[in-house]
Amino acid sequence: MALTKPEFEAILSNSTKTIVGDITWSEDEDHSPSVEFRAEVESDVGWPLFIKGSYNRLIGALTFAVISKTEGRIYALDLGKDHRNPDTGQLIGEKHKHAWTEEYRDKVAYVPPDITEPATNPRAVWTQFCQEAKIRHRGQLQPVPALQSELF
Amino acid sequence: MTATAQNPCEILAATLSRLFVCSPHGDFTRVRTPYLYPDGDSIDLFVKPRLDGVGGTISDLGETIRWLRGQTVSPRRTPRQAAMISDICMTHNVEFFKGMLQARYENNNAFADVATRVAQASLRVSDLWLSFRNRAVESVTEEVEEYLIEQKIAFEKVPRLPGRSGRIWTPHFHARTDVQSSLIYVLATGSRSAARAVTEHVVTAWYDLSNLRTGQNPTEFVSLFDDTADVWADQDFALVRSLSRIARWSEPDEFAQILRRAG
Repeated sequence: MALTKPEFEAILSNSTKTIVGDITWSEDEDHSPSVEFRAEVESDVGWPLFIKGSYNRLIGALTFAVISKTEGRIYALDLGKDHRNPDTGQLIGEKHKHAWTEEYRDKVAYVPPDITEPATNPRAVWTQFCQEAKIRHRGQLQPVPALQSELF
Repeated sequence: MTATAQNPCEILAATLSRLFVCSPHGDFTRVRTPYLYPDGDSIDLFVKPRLDGVGGTISDLGETIRWLRGQTVSPRRTPRQAAMISDICMTHNVEFFKGMLQARYENNNAFADVATRVAQASLRVSDLWLSFRNRAVESVTEEVEEYLIEQKIAFEKVPRLPGRSGRIWTPHFHARTDVQSSLIYVLATGSRSAARAVTEHVVTAWYDLSNLRTGQNPTEFVSLFDDTADVWADQDFALVRSLSRIARWSEPDEFAQILRRAG
């Protein structure tokens, strides 16, 4: 059975969610312009949750996503690309957050007022993202490595 | 020709271009298309003209793959997903280079055609999201079945085989080639905590069925790990290694070679 809205809200509001250890960005399997990381999220309930972060160094587009092993992506912050909501057709803007609904899964987004840092500062955005998602990170998010070679 | 024209084709010609919004973006011109990724995010293309000003390249700059990878915790695509990307690029004459979908336009007249092709490739690649296992569309065992069919390797699904203890075991496949027969267990789980139990079940099965590995026509035992999910520890591989050949689903060609006794 798909994740219900109350279950999603319970996951989001649970303040025992914790990531332990430093997080390092690495290249993806294609050696694309983007770097990414994956971190396991521990909690008192034991939900199978991970955070996936990705940053496109050519265009400064940033995403932090909460992924459930059983449901897929349930929550995400996007900076640097626009979004159109399926229920209203409304364009949300280049800073938006996807949240779970039973009808639309993670397709509906809103403008998060708590994210004020720019995509070009992923570490500062990460701090704000963790605060809003009630995730404690016992470690550091390492700086994004520079793009070494001409990709394009 | 105006937007008030009554002919649908004239209306289209007058209004379609408004759906594509261009803006400078660093070294590139960004083209915001009317197309959307499956979660509703906009598909953007990025244009870099050649230095001589004639033609250039239109690319997604890896955004489609970044979007796709952001939907899953799997570190690698499955062979089937990789094959689908290759097929999509062939259909739309688009290059997949370092995770970027892109194509060159040789002159201004070709620009719209190339932009449309890259956008359509991006749209189709993003739909591979539907093939992710946590979207409950397909299991890795079904992927293996399709691969065996593609490789023209004869097989029987879930044979029922009595072990030495009398217990009935059901490996996922009994494959047969000209030179060898193989029993295959597919080890797949999305959870590290469940991985050891899966491994131990397979070890027990291989041990109980070990009489099939003896005689003049011994059957090969193959433990195929779904390593597209990063859940396996070195100990899991070590446990099955003494009783079976190890194959990894991220390297399907080696898996086929084992079945053909070429590996």
